[in-house]
Amino acid sequence: MKKLNYVIKNTFINMRRNPLLVIATMLAVLVSSFLVFTTLSARAIVENNTSRWQNGVHVVIFLDDRVTSTAHKQLQETLENYPEVRMVEYFTKSEAMDEFKILFKDQPELLQEVDFDILPTSLRINLNNPADYKLIIERMEGNAAVKEIRASGEAIERLLSLTNTLVLSASIFAGLIGFAAFILIINTLRLTAYAKKKEIKIMRTIGASSTYIRLPFIFEAILESLIGTSIAVGLGWGFIQYSKTSFIADSIFDITISDSYLTNLTLILLFSTILFGFFASFVGIRRVLND
Amino acid sequence: MIRLEDVSLVFQGGSVALSNVSTQISEGEFVYLIGHSGSGKSSLLKLLYKEYSATKGSIEVVDMDVTSLPSWKIPLLRRKLGIVTQEPQLLENRTTFENISFALEVLGFDEKEINEKTNTLIELVDLENSMYKFPNQLSGGEQTRACIARALASNPLLLLCDEPTGNLDPDLSIQIISLLEKINRAGTTVLMATHDSSIVNRRKKRVLQLSNGKLVSDVEKGRYI
Repeated sequence: MKKLNYVIKNTFINMRRNPLLVIATMLAVLVSSFLVFTTLSARAIVENNTSRWQNGVHVVIFLDDRVTSTAHKQLQETLENYPEVRMVEYFTKSEAMDEFKILFKDQPELLQEVDFDILPTSLRINLNNPADYKLIIERMEGNAAVKEIRASGEAIERLLSLTNTLVLSASIFAGLIGFAAFILIINTLRLTAYAKKKEIKIMRTIGASSTYIRLPFIFEAILESLIGTSIAVGLGWGFIQYSKTSFIADSIFDITISDSYLTNLTLILLFSTILFGFFASFVGIRRVLND
Repeated sequence: MIRLEDVSLVFQGGSVALSNVSTQISEGEFVYLIGHSGSGKSSLLKLLYKEYSATKGSIEVVDMDVTSLPSWKIPLLRRKLGIVTQEPQLLENRTTFENISFALEVLGFDEKEINEKTNTLIELVDLENSMYKFPNQLSGGEQTRACIARALASNPLLLLCDEPTGNLDPDLSIQIISLLEKINRAGTTVLMATHDSSIVNRRKKRVLQLSNGKLVSDVEKGRYI
């Protein structure tokens, strides 16, 4: 217990020796952890949204009103016979009008102005595998009953591809800043260790174990990293809470992410930070203590 | 207390520090280790507290086989020893009291014990008037006495002194030797490396003489010739 007091006291003494470097280290860890936290959270949000979209309508075929309703029915039957298709829903003009009214209920001027006759009937298709949307488009091309085809799969693919690119870029950036934090921790510890070289030598002569000598340095690295990560995680949680009520939430994105996901992410980040600090301290003082 | 058998120490590059040294020192003895600079005195002391590892031979110190001692057990060995170096290793930003209590703190004593024991050690080395002075305010002799007090913090069975009077004038040297003899009389075995012939010749103790890494003489009540 007495030894622990010594270790804790010396951890704070060490940190007071190089305050600027300590702050720089914490900031680097903070930025890196914040990037990791927000990137992973953002990816989870995008995945939630896209999976919701993927479970909905994948292809919408707008029908040419000049063609008879019998032709529309035939087309629906043809589509229903395709093995890739799970369900086809016939959406009438009046249903399209109802949907339009719901979607634009906040814009009464628009509802007054619009001529609902221009809204086409459509077939809304749900596929077993959303990736098969291209197949449906190919088969429907040139069909006289078809006016226009829209596939959500394409948009989802583009969004996922964009998300993946963003996640990759942010991960690389977070990795680089994390590496900078690693170097900063090593430098901070080495500076402290060199400043305390005489003290370390005396401790070794007296009979202090290597672990005992190392502990203040290990605690310092872990503490600096944990402070940085804790602030980052706090900011990340705050940012997500803010996003839920901000303009972002009014967009097509639904900012929903489970608390259990965020808690797990927080715990994983904090645990990784402890390992990170431990490893950095091990590398940082290995040479100094072996002198 | 100490047993060396056919001990040699060869540094990387081939320079021979010690060659086939064999001797024994019993509990309670006061032994001078003499020889010119470079004769191997410091190397021999460093072998005893495992700062160096012998190239050949076997070493036993305070009932521990130092030759095969794993690195994690070195602190256990050193807690049984007191080590005093020629250059007083004191922390500049701590007072005499704090420098001595530092050792007790590291060894895990509680605050009350630290205060009591530090005061006893300060009294033993006669530094009561300098206990709140910083190292740069102490004379060379006082610094050495502070180092001796710190080395005694763990109640060592064996005190290893590497030329503790090397930088001191004759009067101060005598004071240090008297202090070491007092510690020896209290039961601590003392092995002191020195090349100060006046001290050795005056005190009439056992003398081990090294020359070019070889033990050339071992004489009871010896002299430095």
